[in-house]
Order: sequence, then structure tokens, then C-alpha cells
Amino acid sequence: MSEVIVVTSGKGGVGKTTVTANIGCGLAMLGYKVVLVDADTGLRNLDVVLGMENRIVFDLTDVIEEKCRLRQALIKDRRFEELFLLPTAQTKDKSAVTPKDMQNICSQLREHFDYVIVDSPAGIEQGFQSAVAGVEKAIVVTVPEVAAVRDADRVVGLLEAKAEIRDPKLIINRLRMQMVQRGDMMTLEDMHDILGLELLGVIPDDEQVVIATNRGDPIVINENSLSGRAFKDIVRRMLGEPVPLMNLENGEGFFNRLRRIIGLG
Amino acid sequence: MAVQHALNGLNDSPTVLVEGILRSGQSVSFEGNVVILGDVNPGAQVTAGGNVVVMGVLRGTVHAGAAGNEQAVIVAFRLRPTQLRIANYIARSPDGEVFNPNQPEIARVRDGIVVIEAFPPSGERQGKK
Repeated sequence: MSEVIVVTSGKGGVGKTTVTANIGCGLAMLGYKVVLVDADTGLRNLDVVLGMENRIVFDLTDVIEEKCRLRQALIKDRRFEELFLLPTAQTKDKSAVTPKDMQNICSQLREHFDYVIVDSPAGIEQGFQSAVAGVEKAIVVTVPEVAAVRDADRVVGLLEAKAEIRDPKLIINRLRMQMVQRGDMMTLEDMHDILGLELLGVIPDDEQVVIATNRGDPIVINENSLSGRAFKDIVRRMLGEPVPLMNLENGEGFFNRLRRIIGLG
Repeated sequence: MAVQHALNGLNDSPTVLVEGILRSGQSVSFEGNVVILGDVNPGAQVTAGGNVVVMGVLRGTVHAGAAGNEQAVIVAFRLRPTQLRIANYIARSPDGEVFNPNQPEIARVRDGIVVIEAFPPSGERQGKK
């Protein structure tokens, strides 16, 4: 039974592509057959984050224009046998992919994969409409900022209205526990109060993610990083395991804890 | 002369000159030769029926001899491409550490593979003088 999931956010720069890459790798690490679909035509990034940019010959728009078969456009990951990328075009714009095209592609892909994960573009226009057209589930990514949460809320409404996707799952990215503890950042409760979505996971703000992403190696591969473990937990929750939320306060460090104890924090 | 030798047989083709940096998402397509007076950035694409010369850093994707001409060549001041295609041959940049010589290079098809060499071939003479 395959699942077709879109990763979306409304606001740009909150980590949709990073989340897509890490969830995809995480599922593939557990042996699932996964295809990641980049729906951000004209501003594609998923190929770069996965370190696959130099392997692209055909893309989603070539499949749509029948210049190649779907199979020819799929790129196999060099690390995981069961992970594939369907890239999109960089030299075209969103009008090259219609919602109907995406429905068609997704229904073909689900025949061959356990998970089809679509990386949506930012925004709520044509690109978003196409990205959500062929999916049945959604993951909404946000960061603990008022603007991002507002946009996430808007997107949740649109998912329901336009694509009949109910109860998307929420991922909160780049949480800084120290700021939350100081009262300078929205807390998980604050965001839950507004969005009311089931929380799939929380990713701590972690410079290792930036380093790994720039290298083209998703952080989930790294056993030692806190954020990598957070992504692993997310994957397990997607599979239905009841994994408790990680205690992010452990990453606080001795000196900060000391500062807090003696009242400087 | 090395230049005439490398571009042998394609000198008469019409040539288009493109001035400026070709940025991500931009593309140039022409049936003859293409000369870029600037860099070609990652995500940009150049497609030519003939040769492609980049008078700058080539970081994007270039397809020379796109109509099937295996004699077509790609020359760049600095050759750091995402992908090179000549006729029906495709070469991609290696993963991980890459040897990047600081001199112009030429890519062409030899015995069924895309080969990259210093350009002009007598590159070491420049260094000694």
C-alpha cells in the first residue's frame, strides 16, 4: 500500500526541501522504495540537496512532453538502492506542469514505490496547486516564527479546500530551545494552539544541517547529530511507531545551563 | 595552430555571441556555434549544434553538437561543469574531490568517451616562460 505525500509550507525558506530529502533518505535507509518528486519547476533544489544535480538528463517536464519515458527521468541515489529522484526543469516555469500532469505522474509512480514524496514550491499559486493535485496526504513544515505559522495555517486551509487533504501532519523546523526557555521564541504549545495539527516531529536548529545540505548529504545519514536523530524519529512516526518527542534541552550545554541556574540566562 | 585544429571543420558555421553571465534557469540554444563572453552558472544550459566556447567559468550544463555532431568541442577558460554533453555522449562531474586545473580546457569525444584536456595542448610551455 503506497503513500503519496506532499511536503509544503506556504512560506519559503522554512526547510521543505531539506525535510523532503531527509524523510526520503530515512525511509530508504529502512528499506522502503521511495521516489522524491521536485515540483518546484524553475527553482529546483532537491537535486542539489541530494547531490544529484550532475546526473540529471531528463526531467518531469520531458516526461510530460513525452520526450522520454517516466523511467528514464528517474535518478537513482548513489547511497541507497531504493531511493529515486524525479527532478524538474530549471529552465522552464510553473506553467510547464499542470495539476492534471501531476495526478498522472503520481498515479504512475505509486504503482512502483512504497512512498511518493512531492516537494512543493513555496507559495499557494500554480506550482502549489500542481504539487498537491496528485497526493492524498500532506506534511506541513513551519519554523517558530509568527509569519511562518500564519502561512502554514493558510496552507492547511487550502489543502482542505482545494485538494481535500485533511489532517496534515506538522513538522516544526529550526527550534531553538534556549530561546524558547528564555521566552523569546514561540513554544510548541503556541503553535499547536494556532494550527491544531498532529505533531510529526521537531527539528532543532543545527548548523550540521547546513553543512550536510551544502555537501549534498542529508543529515539523517549522520548518526551522531541531534537533528539527524530527530529526522529518524519522524520517519518512525510516519511508519506508525509511537516515538516520544526528543528532549531537546539536552543539547543546551553545560555553560548555558549553569548561566540559567545562577540566574544569568 | 591549435585553435584551428581543435575546431576543424566547424569554422564556417554561424556563431552567436552571448555577453554576460548566464544564470541559473537561463538557457541559450543555437544551431551553430555559441560563444559566451562571461560565466555559465550552475543551473544554466547552453545547447549548440556546433562548438561551445565559454570565455569565463563554465559551471552549468553544456550540450555541443546537439544535432549529433561528434566532432563538436567545448572550450572554457575554467571548465567546472555540472554536466557536459557532446552529440549523444554525456559526462558528469565526479562526486567528491575534483582536480581543477587553473587553465583553459577543452572537452571532446575520443573513442566513445568525453575527454578533457588542457587547452591549448602545450599548456606547460606557458608556465615555463
